[in-house]
This record gives sequence, C-alpha cells and structure tokens, in this order.
Amino acid sequence: MTATESPATTRLSKRRTYRRLMYGSIVGAVVLTLVLRNFGYPFVGEAVYWLGIVAFFAIWTGTDVQVMDERDWELERRATLSAFQIIGAIGVVGASALRLLTYLTEYTIPAEVQGAFYGFIGLFIAFGLSYLWHRSRL
Amino acid sequence: MKNELDEYRSRDGLSQGELAEAVGVSRQTINAIERERYDPSLELAFKLAAQFDCAVEELFDPALDDAA
Repeated sequence: MTATESPATTRLSKRRTYRRLMYGSIVGAVVLTLVLRNFGYPFVGEAVYWLGIVAFFAIWTGTDVQVMDERDWELERRATLSAFQIIGAIGVVGASALRLLTYLTEYTIPAEVQGAFYGFIGLFIAFGLSYLWHRSRL
Repeated sequence: MKNELDEYRSRDGLSQGELAEAVGVSRQTINAIERERYDPSLELAFKLAAQFDCAVEELFDPALDDAA
C-alpha cells in the first residue's frame, strides 16, 4: 500500500481483484478448454474447465472479502427479469409461429429449434419450481 | 429516491470508497444511491443513518419524489 492509498481504497480494490479473479477463472477456463479441444486434448480441456469452476467457487466462498453487495444482487434480479421477458416473448411468439407454419405448410421444424424450445420450457419450469420454493420460505 | 447522502458525506469529509467500506458495500453502490438510481435496502439505509448519526428520514425523503 502506498502512502496515498487509504485502507478503504485498498479493501475496495481487493474486492475488484477478487471479482476479476472469479470471473477470470471461468472465462479463462472456457477459452482454454476450447483451445485445448481444438488442439486435440479434450480431456485436459475438461480438467481445465472444472479447475476454473472449482476456482470460481473456492474464491467466492474462501475469501472474507464481500465480493457481492445488495446492488449486485439487485442487478442480477433485474437482468434475470429482462432475460426471462425476452425469452418468454420469443417463446410465446415463436411457438405459435412454428405451429402455424407446420399446420399451413409442409415445413418441418428442425431438431435444433425444437431442442431450443424444450430448453426454454425447461428454463421456465426450473424458474417456476424455484419461485414456489422461495415463496414457501418468504 | 431523493436523498442527502452526498451532502452528509461531504460534511464528514468521506470519499465514496471510504463510506462504502464503512457500511460494507461497493463504491458503485454509494455512487448509485447518490445519483438516485438505486434505492438502498432498509438495512443499508439504517447503516448509513447510523454512520452519519442522523435519522433515516433526514437522509432519505421519498416524499420529495412527488414534488419533483
């Protein structure tokens, strides 16, 4: 610590450092996994991937520095809501459009699109279950 | 929500970072409250009031929103 840095500034930069380490470990692990997979080392890539995941949680739970505060949780809540609204809108409009397409034309829904819709539905079911669980506790 | 956080902080000669550290949040959170873009939780509002040794309603005034 230099003479111009207050302890508060140091602790805040520590918080930033820990956050960078956490998210950096995930992003770094994913990038490295893709690189290793492309170079023909899929198992080493998977090991690196899991190392990144474990590092993320180890840093989060292992430090006494408060990495997230109430505004961060509020940001996550708002981002989740926005994401669900967008996914919901795509799901409602897209499902109807695809159903009509298959009724009115010879169009066959590609397996990837069907998979994506099942994924959306799964996401909403998971959200609903999670909501009910939280509601029972609040 | 309208608030006097900036005034109280300046009065005590605290930086946003120092206040943030004192109440256990990030500097960005203090900045967002001062810019009235984020309303703190009840717990944080009380912590801020305790920090400045004043009542919560002296620091935060939701009624001022209606007048604006």
